[in-house]
Amino acid sequence: MRKLIRSYTFRTVVQGLITIWAVMTFTFFLIRLMPGNPAQIKIDEYVDRYGMSEDQARQQVATLFNYDPDQPVFEQYVDYLSDLVRFDLGRSLTSTETPVAEQILRFLPWTLFSVGLALLVAFSLGVLVGLAMAYWRGGLLDNVMTVFASVIYAIPDYIIALLLIMVAGVQLKLIPVGELYGGSTQGIEPGFTVEYILDLLKHAFLPVFTYVLATIGGWMLTMKSSTISTLGEDYITVARARGLPERRLLTAYVGRNAMLPLMTRLAISIGFVVGGSAIIETLFLYPGLGRNLVLAIGLRDYTTMQGIFLVIAISVVVSNILADLLYGWLDPRVRLGGDKGTE
Amino acid sequence: MSASADVRAVLSEKSLVQRLSSGTRGTVRALLRNKAGFLGFLGVMFFIILTTLGPLVIPYEGDPRLDRLRPGARSLFAPPSVEHPLGLDVKGRDVLSHIVHGGGPLILTALEAGILTTIVAVALGAAAGLLGGFIDQIISAASNFILTIPQFPLLLVLATIVTFDNRLGMALLLAVLNWPTLMRAVRAQVMSLKSRDYVEAAFALDLGLWHITTREVLPNMISYIVVNMIFTIRSAMYFIIALMFLGLVPLTEPDWGMMIFIGKQQGSLSNPEAAWMLLAPVLAIALFQLSLVLFTRSLEEVFNPRLRQGV
Amino acid sequence: MADGSVVLSVEDISITYTTQRGIVQAVSNVSFDLHAGETLALIGESGCGKSTIVLGLIGLLPKTGKITTGKVTYRRRDGRLIDVLGLNKEQMRQFLWNECSMVFQGALNSLNPVLKISSMIYDTARAHGMRADEAKKRALSLFEKVRLDPLRVFNSYPHELSGGMRQRVLLATALLLRPQVVIMDEPTTAVDILTQRSIIKVLKQLREELNFSVIFISHDLAVAAEIADTVATMYAGEIIEKGPVSEVFYRPRHAYTLGLLEAAPRLSTGAEELMSIPGSPPDLIDPPKGCKFHMRCRFVTDECKTTKPPLQASSPT
Repeated sequence: MRKLIRSYTFRTVVQGLITIWAVMTFTFFLIRLMPGNPAQIKIDEYVDRYGMSEDQARQQVATLFNYDPDQPVFEQYVDYLSDLVRFDLGRSLTSTETPVAEQILRFLPWTLFSVGLALLVAFSLGVLVGLAMAYWRGGLLDNVMTVFASVIYAIPDYIIALLLIMVAGVQLKLIPVGELYGGSTQGIEPGFTVEYILDLLKHAFLPVFTYVLATIGGWMLTMKSSTISTLGEDYITVARARGLPERRLLTAYVGRNAMLPLMTRLAISIGFVVGGSAIIETLFLYPGLGRNLVLAIGLRDYTTMQGIFLVIAISVVVSNILADLLYGWLDPRVRLGGDKGTE
Repeated sequence: MSASADVRAVLSEKSLVQRLSSGTRGTVRALLRNKAGFLGFLGVMFFIILTTLGPLVIPYEGDPRLDRLRPGARSLFAPPSVEHPLGLDVKGRDVLSHIVHGGGPLILTALEAGILTTIVAVALGAAAGLLGGFIDQIISAASNFILTIPQFPLLLVLATIVTFDNRLGMALLLAVLNWPTLMRAVRAQVMSLKSRDYVEAAFALDLGLWHITTREVLPNMISYIVVNMIFTIRSAMYFIIALMFLGLVPLTEPDWGMMIFIGKQQGSLSNPEAAWMLLAPVLAIALFQLSLVLFTRSLEEVFNPRLRQGV
Repeated sequence: MADGSVVLSVEDISITYTTQRGIVQAVSNVSFDLHAGETLALIGESGCGKSTIVLGLIGLLPKTGKITTGKVTYRRRDGRLIDVLGLNKEQMRQFLWNECSMVFQGALNSLNPVLKISSMIYDTARAHGMRADEAKKRALSLFEKVRLDPLRVFNSYPHELSGGMRQRVLLATALLLRPQVVIMDEPTTAVDILTQRSIIKVLKQLREELNFSVIFISHDLAVAAEIADTVATMYAGEIIEKGPVSEVFYRPRHAYTLGLLEAAPRLSTGAEELMSIPGSPPDLIDPPKGCKFHMRCRFVTDECKTTKPPLQASSPT
């Protein structure tokens, strides 16, 4: 038992759970500090739109919501927590009767698909180009790409998105922007058909392309500087003296070592996938979790916001653990730090 | 005696005054050496002049100018012309006047956020590093917590709570979210510098914690602090505009972010004629951010004498 | 030396580095012959050009370095002569390790941290067309010879080995393909004195068994004296004195060699006798005329400032 408590894995998991709980609690109270509440917003809507009297609207809303704005916040918190340990995230306050978990499961795949794909593309491309830039340092590729990467790295993602729409879409008409909004074209049956998958890719193009452009510069520059410092290591000279072919040298000796610091960053950025996508998804009307969060904030949909923040906290914690594991797997020097019990 | 004189010599050699005393000529030369950095410097200068002196020359057009509707046109939007170099917006107002008047508040808020963040981070970092113990643990735990939550979603919520009657509130909010990175760096530096010879020498001379921090530790990392501040300014601007973009902060004109928001609302994203209204603030933001990033390279050379000598 | 055939002949090599301040004449007109089974020690202060020579020999000079004059001839076991500097990239790659291998200084950093020792052995073998099973057999037997636990080391990562063990792994790897020439660049500087002793011992034994020639670069005279047959002293990019180890060490003819000997701690003399050479090596961008040592030489004459006087026998006290 004592061994278990001391073990690295156990400690990591406990730490992760504590972090998730802390973020959950913090956001729970923060959310309820926001001015206005979901019931009031709905009541206002009924009064404005359907011309109900204040009281009528209030009654109507009370039957719709199982949320009582007058219940003390701490009681709400205890209720929420007791539901949560039974893996019940509650029901959405605005699209009533929809369980939050269901909502998240509906929106999360879009975000995971688009941001994940973009991360994969930007990372692999950025690493390859960065490696080449450092290997042929001072060459044409290096000079051109360094300027490109510095410029693209400095420009905010939503500015890139706007420029894509306005310049490539509206002015030059290179991209049929209008057709690409949303997650998929209506009328195409979802399923494992070529038509549907192509449609998904088509609609993911704009957000994915934006994410790739916004992040690839950073990957390139980091990989370049990491590679340059690796190239200066003794073991590279020694390997060269042993007459190893350049390709082997570049992959197993230069590339693998230069990539080590980037792998941690990659894993950590996976955790920020969900939170980082709000603006781009909103701009391209992409039905992901980020856009859903923005909408939920506007409607003060407490339970939905709470659920999404929980997903965010979990993904950050999990990706941090993943980063640790990945680093240990790639770098034998820290592998020992893993499970001391087994060694 | 001579030992103490030696110590003093070491101390003064490391002081900021000495560092910058190679004179303005040295600073200018360092500024010029890095071409990209100098370009960034020019860019930043351009925007500062544009947004401070520009308003004195170009009057602000806040009211709709329906009289500018050209015969037969469907909207007031207009491409650049001689009288209106950046065209007209949805209400027929001069886009250039909005660019000139709308940059100042934005840049000022971002600057305030940058300065506030730096002050908070340096103070907490120095406190954690020098005092250690319980205070260090608290500060470190807080920074870890903030770094765990993705900033933007958190900001979305916080932005609705903190009202933005004054820009300082916004700056303060951004400072709360941004301090951990610099704090960690300052803390680490303080910890490592604490053990270095000349700080030990300063301890030996009984110069006190405050003196050590302000005279030895901070000047040694001035380059890092300034560059970090620039990056904070940049990210503050990113967040402010993003919030406006999503319509989550009160609408005030003139402002670059607001120009984008209004442009987007008015459907100018799909209207080729309207592009100028959007393109102008988009390019202004892109160029200003680019200039800031490039400028940091020159700053590194100015503050880092080792780089300055070159190889 | 006994057998007398020359394995590696270096004639009139000069190497320059291009720097921002100007062109550095790092090596000027160096010549030497390495015989089969001979160990030649190149000694001198750091920066005297001893490492630059060997990097030039194996084509690994940094981009700023350039061989301006000279010829290097290598004699293969089948008697064919190879013009080493005339090899193209692929031929040079083949030449390295097959014919001439190297043990670098800084054993701690000479092994790729993410690969096991076995991968390093297999990589080297594959690059030169040696079969994997043969490479493993050979590596294990070499590890045994350098007194390592063969299988354990073979399956280890570099960080799991101590500095001395790594240095021995590098030594064994250098002999993997049975080269005729092994270049050792300060192989004992990064390890403690006991490890140093055991490595020297292992090296001597290996040399006896496998009969290869060694170019031994060092600033440590005691180590050089113990292992070398021939000694060449370098100063400011030139070989200033060369001869059998007993002659150079016991009857040095150049004032610099004498200075080096006097600066080295010896058990027989005791610490109070230690003397250092005053001044520092000359700027090689603008080298002095005449003998490059004359500013620091206590036997300096007017002649030294314009020409290089011939070496004369001396008798150190």
